[in-house]
Amino acid sequence: MNNVLKKAAGALAIPVIVAVVLNVLCALGGRAMLASKTSFDNFVVYTAIVMITTMALSINLNSGRFDFSLGAMAVLSAVIGAKLSYVLLAGGPGSATLMLVLTVLAGAVLGLCSGGLYVLLRIPPIITSLGVTLIYEGITYTITGGRYMMTEVQNADMAAFAGNWYWGLLIIVAVLAGIIVLFDHTRFGVDYRALKEGQRVSVNTGIREVPNALGCYAVCGALMGIVGFLNAARNTNINGGSLSFGSIGIMFTAFLPMFIGGYISRWCNEKIGYLLAALCMSMLNSTFAVYANQVNASMQSIINAVLLVLFLIYLNNEYRIASFFKGPRAQRKAAQG
Amino acid sequence: MRKSIKKALAMLAASALTLTMLAGCGSTASAPAASSPASTPASAPAEAGQDEPAAPSGDPVKIGVLVADVSGEEALGFRSYYENYIASNYNVQLLYTDQLEDAAGERAAIEKFAAQGAQAIISFSSSDRAMQIETCADNELYYAVASGMLDDAQYEQYKSNPWFVGQVGPSMDTEFEAGKAMGEYFKQKGATKIAMYGAFIPNPMHVYRAAGVLVGLGATYGGASDKDAIVGQIFGDQGIDVSKVTADGVELVAYFQGFGDTTTDELNAAIQAAPDAFLSVGMATTFFTQQLNTAGIEFSDIDSFTSGNAEAMANGKLVYLAGKYSSSVGPIFAAVLDAVNGNAIRDAEGNALSVSQSYLVATDSATFDKYFTADKGDSPIFSKDVLDTVIGADVSYDDFVALVEADRS
Repeated sequence: MNNVLKKAAGALAIPVIVAVVLNVLCALGGRAMLASKTSFDNFVVYTAIVMITTMALSINLNSGRFDFSLGAMAVLSAVIGAKLSYVLLAGGPGSATLMLVLTVLAGAVLGLCSGGLYVLLRIPPIITSLGVTLIYEGITYTITGGRYMMTEVQNADMAAFAGNWYWGLLIIVAVLAGIIVLFDHTRFGVDYRALKEGQRVSVNTGIREVPNALGCYAVCGALMGIVGFLNAARNTNINGGSLSFGSIGIMFTAFLPMFIGGYISRWCNEKIGYLLAALCMSMLNSTFAVYANQVNASMQSIINAVLLVLFLIYLNNEYRIASFFKGPRAQRKAAQG
Repeated sequence: MRKSIKKALAMLAASALTLTMLAGCGSTASAPAASSPASTPASAPAEAGQDEPAAPSGDPVKIGVLVADVSGEEALGFRSYYENYIASNYNVQLLYTDQLEDAAGERAAIEKFAAQGAQAIISFSSSDRAMQIETCADNELYYAVASGMLDDAQYEQYKSNPWFVGQVGPSMDTEFEAGKAMGEYFKQKGATKIAMYGAFIPNPMHVYRAAGVLVGLGATYGGASDKDAIVGQIFGDQGIDVSKVTADGVELVAYFQGFGDTTTDELNAAIQAAPDAFLSVGMATTFFTQQLNTAGIEFSDIDSFTSGNAEAMANGKLVYLAGKYSSSVGPIFAAVLDAVNGNAIRDAEGNALSVSQSYLVATDSATFDKYFTADKGDSPIFSKDVLDTVIGADVSYDDFVALVEADRS
């Protein structure tokens, strides 16, 4: 029982500290962090976007496969889902649900293609993913003519989705449960973790690396499909004009929460860690909204980057910092290794 | 390993050089096409030998269209009119650019159109209009500004350029007045907390509109209350600095501009500030209608009378629209066709056309529909019958001005 409480306290420490600090900051500005239902709707959808992007990024990155094409996958799958759902329902009732399903399917196929290329070419995934990014961005540009896609995603159904927090929450719960089950309680997940820890040994024990890698890419693609859908619902458009790696920004939103989530996972399941990290990022985003007149978009990017650097500095010097507070003996121990 | 990398790099460099050479050859080969229009405007009529509008048969007149906006309601309305109505009623081929984002893109597009044999350029893009005119003149292309105007100094500089056909659109004073009327409307309505979208400031048209909104709201900017001083400061700030806005009884609670990755967050911040009204100087109806409707915030825009905006006014929270007809870009097309046919319309001093178009304002669905239905599909306000009255050899400057300025509401 004591252990459970200790773990819960450890896992919740960062989110609670962030919530307290940011709420105090907002109060100093005379405003509430979440002042209205609209703010809360945005908060939940943004949390879902960050959490799912972080999961998609971490799945391959933890296995040493850096995938630049996540953003391009999100955009292209959303374009395909939006186009098809508009053809079938013309923006009528059920459009949002249909688009979500089609976008996830399209994302899975795109992920599979990306993984297939990696497996086929056997060149470093970072190189493959750069090529895939350019190809997917090019296809998106060709389909949209470089325009913002609006008609297909601006309808009452999409508005209802983005305007009700419980849809976002439902997606968070479903994705979290699905990913935990898939990666922690299935043969696929066990193989994934074995390959992550020791690829050569795992392959020698009979684990098939290629199907597992393809499965990971397909899951990442499906997750980015959900992100593409959520972005389309939140922005009420899809930017079809991203070329020359313009879509990479979608992926970079996940770096800071990935490191924070990884840190929190010392006390809980890694995926829960990503959710808590996403909550922190969403609170930061809502605080930026409160101070939007004072802290402009470029300043916000700088603050995010500084936070990332500071957190990485902390992670790399954690034991030194801890020993500094514990006294000279502990410092000597830390210095010895 | 190193050897193979060296080989690969050598191959890459060789391929790049070969491609560059081929590209260079391509430019040279297509260069003569640029000289297909008459070598000087003065000799154009004689060479063209056409006193009547372009015949519906034969080689079409090629006109390049520069666009900076490929998604907005207004831009799509203009494009639809050109592509669906003008192209089917006149023997013209309209060549559109992709979204142009800077002066370099505009120059490249003009040079590309020249290589494709275009005879004229109609510009909806305003990154560097002076450069556009000079590039058109270098490539012997007629040039016209649609739905906008050069600033006064630029017009003075280029009005006698024979390749500059003219400009038809709201003048900067008209833009300022449109913004001012919008600000006054909401102030009289009792709005006290205002959120504002500055569209694409420092685009001059948006700067003047934004200055007008501030004046209309009764605000000062950096202590100034007159048009020129406010405009100058907004140009200097490249946007509106909320801390410099002071107004009795009205508070600017949120301001943002541009459109990109951070726009949704900025819009959400504006909505979170719970404004009484969201005032936009352009493009809000394209970008934000759904979010503002969902949030229940009344909004306004300077755009055009399109089906999307009709829906937003009838069933959404759009309560004020200052707009243009989609076919309001018809007269400048007619002027360009005249120039290509050797009948360029000039004023008494031989200068390029410069005619200001004003905005129509709708604050309810009935008024909106009156303007909207008058300018639809196959029966636009500037129809072929109307435009033909200013296409030909005997059209005077006054005829053209009368056509543009006639009240068609």
